[in-house]
Amino acid sequence: MPSLPLLLSQAFNGLALGTLLALVSSGLTIILGTLGVLNFAHGALFMVGAYAIFVVAAATGSFVVGLLVGAVIMLAVGVMLERVLIRFFYDRPHEDQILVTFGAAIVIVEAVRAVFGGESQRVAAPDWGGGVTQLGFLIYPTYRLELIGIVAALLFALYVVLYRTSIGLVVRAGIEDARTVGILGINVRRAFLLVFAIGVVAAGVAGMLYAPIVSVDPDMGATFMVESFVVIVIGGLGSYPGAVVGGLIAGEILSITSAFNAAYSEVMLYAVMALLLVVRPQGLLGSEGRV
Amino acid sequence: MERLADPALLLRRRVLQLGIVAAGGLLGSPAGAFAAENPPLGTWPEGVQGDSVMVGITVPLTGPYSADGKDEQLGYELAIAEINAGSDAAKAWGMKGKGVLGKQIRYKVADTEAKPNVAVQAQTQFIQRDKAIMITGSVSSAVAVALEELAQRDKVVNMVGVSASNDTTGKNCQRYGFRSQQSGYMVCKALAPVLVKAMGQGKKAAYLVPDYTYGHSVFDSFTGLVSKDGWTVATQQVVPLGTTDFSSALLNIANSGADVFVNIAFGADAVSSIKQAQQFGVLSKAKLVVPVISSFQAKELGPALTEGVYGTIDFWWTLQDRYPLAKAFVDAFLAKNNYRPGFGAHVGYSQTLIWAAAVERAGTFYSVDVIKTLEASQSQPFDSSLGQVWFRAEDHQGVRPVPVVVGKAPSAMKNAEDFYDVVELVPGEQVISPPDMFGCHLGSYT
Amino acid sequence: MTPATAVPELLLAVVLIAAPFTLPYAGGSIDMLQRILDWGIIGLGFDLLFGATGLLSFGQAAFYGTGGFVAAYLLVNNVIGSVWLALLIGTGLGGLFGLFVGVLAVRRIGIYFAMITLAFGQMAYFLENSPLSAYTGGENGLPGVPVPTIGGMRIEPGIPLYWVLAAIFFAGFVLARRILHSPFGAILRAIKENALRTGLVGHSVPAYKLAVFVIAALYAALAGGLLGVFQGYMPPDAFALDTSGQLVVQTIIGGVGTLIGPTVGATVWLYLHDNLQLIPGVGALWRLILGLIFVGLVVGLRRGIAGQIGAWLQRRMSVVERPDDAAPVDAPREPAMALPMIAPLSRADADAPALCAIELSKHYGGLHAVEHVSFSVREGSIHGVIGPNGAGKSTLFKLLKDEVPPTSGEVRLFGRRITGLGPARTAQLGIAKSNQLNQLFLELTVRQNLRIAALARSRGTFRLDLLRAAGSIPAVERQIEAVLDTMGLAHHADAPVHVLPYGEKRRTEIGIALATGPNVLLLDEPLAGMSPAERVTTRALIRELAQSRTLVIVEHDMDAVFELAERITVLYDGRLLADGAPEQISRDQSVQDAYLGGLHEYEPA
Repeated sequence: MPSLPLLLSQAFNGLALGTLLALVSSGLTIILGTLGVLNFAHGALFMVGAYAIFVVAAATGSFVVGLLVGAVIMLAVGVMLERVLIRFFYDRPHEDQILVTFGAAIVIVEAVRAVFGGESQRVAAPDWGGGVTQLGFLIYPTYRLELIGIVAALLFALYVVLYRTSIGLVVRAGIEDARTVGILGINVRRAFLLVFAIGVVAAGVAGMLYAPIVSVDPDMGATFMVESFVVIVIGGLGSYPGAVVGGLIAGEILSITSAFNAAYSEVMLYAVMALLLVVRPQGLLGSEGRV
Repeated sequence: MERLADPALLLRRRVLQLGIVAAGGLLGSPAGAFAAENPPLGTWPEGVQGDSVMVGITVPLTGPYSADGKDEQLGYELAIAEINAGSDAAKAWGMKGKGVLGKQIRYKVADTEAKPNVAVQAQTQFIQRDKAIMITGSVSSAVAVALEELAQRDKVVNMVGVSASNDTTGKNCQRYGFRSQQSGYMVCKALAPVLVKAMGQGKKAAYLVPDYTYGHSVFDSFTGLVSKDGWTVATQQVVPLGTTDFSSALLNIANSGADVFVNIAFGADAVSSIKQAQQFGVLSKAKLVVPVISSFQAKELGPALTEGVYGTIDFWWTLQDRYPLAKAFVDAFLAKNNYRPGFGAHVGYSQTLIWAAAVERAGTFYSVDVIKTLEASQSQPFDSSLGQVWFRAEDHQGVRPVPVVVGKAPSAMKNAEDFYDVVELVPGEQVISPPDMFGCHLGSYT
Repeated sequence: MTPATAVPELLLAVVLIAAPFTLPYAGGSIDMLQRILDWGIIGLGFDLLFGATGLLSFGQAAFYGTGGFVAAYLLVNNVIGSVWLALLIGTGLGGLFGLFVGVLAVRRIGIYFAMITLAFGQMAYFLENSPLSAYTGGENGLPGVPVPTIGGMRIEPGIPLYWVLAAIFFAGFVLARRILHSPFGAILRAIKENALRTGLVGHSVPAYKLAVFVIAALYAALAGGLLGVFQGYMPPDAFALDTSGQLVVQTIIGGVGTLIGPTVGATVWLYLHDNLQLIPGVGALWRLILGLIFVGLVVGLRRGIAGQIGAWLQRRMSVVERPDDAAPVDAPREPAMALPMIAPLSRADADAPALCAIELSKHYGGLHAVEHVSFSVREGSIHGVIGPNGAGKSTLFKLLKDEVPPTSGEVRLFGRRITGLGPARTAQLGIAKSNQLNQLFLELTVRQNLRIAALARSRGTFRLDLLRAAGSIPAVERQIEAVLDTMGLAHHADAPVHVLPYGEKRRTEIGIALATGPNVLLLDEPLAGMSPAERVTTRALIRELAQSRTLVIVEHDMDAVFELAERITVLYDGRLLADGAPEQISRDQSVQDAYLGGLHEYEPA
């Protein structure tokens, strides 16, 4: 039985992991909710974000510039992907959508590998993110603490966009009933494009923020892909608050289980999801009958 | 006079018969006459009929080990090019002319994606379709073990690629498999005294162990060997393969009071875990030890993180100063590929040349003879980039020096790839495990 | 529909026999063929699950791996000597695992279903890798799986083992095809088209879904066991998510719903996988090229390769008459064609009314859709239900068929309480409903639509009749013919429903309800959207039907209702406003005020 201080440390760690998962998953869930597309390329886009900041930060020497320019790059990538591929699939059955994003994921990952090679790239944490911070008995990497703050701010910004702006209203209405929104004369396609782009940027920014922590290589997005699926199911498909809550819960499940036995942390996550699906399929904050 | 016993006819017939035998003796190689006595086995003699033989190579070109895989492929390609050209380097390894026994080597490379099943699938094709006379390649002990099984089943010699698990020449050993890389046991046995000398006795060590046989076997060997110097296990953190976030394990390690951090992870896992260890302040409290260093780790982490880190590595390019064949290898590789070879490339290069030399020594491609030649190498070691090396007959483990290295300070680096100092080159005989230690039972020859 | 010919089987046999002599010369090998067939076997089951029933599973690897590792473990550790027996046990245990997962998974649909299967697949993968690694060899897998023997003779790897696999695949294909063309298979396809209606006509949809899930798991487990055998090695990748994913990819490339699609897809994928790499200069880029090809296939080929070929062949071979909207409406036949009707299964009370609603209420939160409604319907009569829009008529109908549970109250059918039994069970007991908005099986023909309904009462809510042909039950076929004649659909019996004009779709809608052979028939706005001529014939039909069964009709066409009904119930705002003979109702003040034209208080002063 792990000690209390250790459990508390892991609970804190779960928060850090959870906010990141929340950011990645929120992009996935709004795309699914509005466009009805289950984006299997989400993990690959997370990875592209990490490479974007790698390239820009290496060229400019600044993490922050890398972040900003990287976000713009992700926006461009998102727009391009939607225009070139995704928009032809809105009316096609779900399986086709899953497959085309799955194929796009393969192409993106291998293209990155072809350009950059398979080895791991280094992205240094920003200077203001180095070192450790003492939190009582807990010594924690400063960067991760800052990460919690940054991601929380981004999630809040996304909340503001979705719930306090008119474009956000269109998006949320689109999640409910895209057809009616179109009938009302609103350019739904433009809203779709924006939603997809936002989702891609969210994934990419998560990748950028995560880059200093892990090995940046073409395959880094795979685990996050599956984990974010689990998160949106737990939180409720199409629900933004659900993605946030689901992300935090998933982070906690992974971290606290690993305090007991690391091998079981993933299994635990799946078991919780399966249980939830049997008992309450719409997820914690989703609504019944959606999708 | 009776026609039947015409002496002129008889004489003519006899001359003809002798001529045929003589002609056969001249045309066929000396071994050809003997080889005709052996029944077909595996891809022999089908695979050696023409003027070239085929070698099947599988390495991960996509997936988590793709960097090491690509490196390994380049090593194979260099060796094959040298053998086919009959270069001076090839001759120094024991080759007598162009090609192997006069035959050029063809090869094909397939991507294993680091999955055992894909590797088996690809090599089966090479055997069935292309009649490969030797199969090789891997960057993962799971793949190595699977290919050894395939080799044994299909009776084709397998020169094992990158694999550090004790089991590869332990409970999973095969008559048809030969592994040159230093085993986990050898690594730990070579490293332990160096560590104790450098760091002292009675240390508390925290271990990060990847949850598969390689990880566990290195952990078991290491702790067993350092315990007699009073080293204790402060904590053992087992992490599943493919973990990206090591924070849980590292928090435990940071809180364990350890003064040494032994990181047994490999590849991308090692890079992530070391980066995160630094972020969690583990590296400021404990000295880092990496028993088996992956090829590009130093480049990926940066010398600031690898400075002062002790470990072993199957081959490091500065060994070119000690072994002329290493120098030839490094120079040729650098000229062709614009970077200095990692140890994966070295495994590919050296395994190919040793096999070719063994075939020339045996005088035949017939697998049983090649195997027996390799098994007899203790009395007649091969000249290689690591000096004189041989394979132990009991378990087919390569007996070769184990390089113990320490990371150099950035200021001490003479070029962009000068990451390590080789502090000791421990002779293989001193550190190899007792032959029955890991349960090896070699299979049959046929 | 019976498999009209054995052409597919013959073609398959020819291909299987010719393959080992041709493919190796085209860049393949015996080993590749064996792998293709292995994927083909797991694909047969998967296509029944996904292609026929529409259930997309991302977790077939769980059963593939289970079957494989159980068989391999038993053989490698000498627990069992016979390879055939080990395969049988592995397949059985894989099926059992499928039963367990299926029970949990089939309660959900769409992406939720997919995620449950994915979760179990992943859990099985992790279990194999760590906790059970002592049995499974962990990340190394289980090497040393022996080859099978027949009569003491070893079947060597290579061509001999290929024949074994080909034989098993062939048998599996024949079986899958039989299943697809059986009544069971017809219901699977109906579930894919319209699961709601399938349940409404009397089939237990969850039971069928579970059954096909287990069948798919059995196929997968068998394929897993065979992998270990022909390869001599059971790999851990068998459990990986990649395996489930590759199966889905291959099936879509090859063509969903064609049974042979997964095999075709496997051929394409494996062939490209092996041979792309060998092109000089390609090397690691093979995966990029394969990804691009794959995206191209998804974008371009909507039905997959086999599906496209099949559709092209179908277009060439059959002439589908596009029904002419202007064609005269077929008048229903004379009453001589009596529709067979199965007697009610039980009658609690011989004098009980056919249908009786007792204090029925249905609240949706604050909305009281139906409030304390009670009325009864005499057997053999036509009972009308009228009321303004939003009065709760459709909800009432749903309550009468127990499609939704009432908040309070109950419904009795021939004196027996049916509330709580669910729509399938009530259909079995003899009450059927035709909907206001068509609930048809659009891709199926009219005949097939009717057959789904007609199969219900003769077979109960669930029957595992996998081997007989769907059209081989004489009583069912007679029922279908009778309904086709009665509804005037015989002319277009074999046209897919989605090409029919609205009027005929409407008649099909009613026909489906009729084909279940109900004793009580609920018709929700049967005349909606019909032309005057069609209304006349439909009214005549209703009168005719009432001669042999009880009818309850919701309608807005007041002339029709007042003409036909013996008794009328008026609903307003969820409450019962009036209930009685048509003359009473037309004179009732409150009814006039609410519905029929009471404008007194609104007339200008």
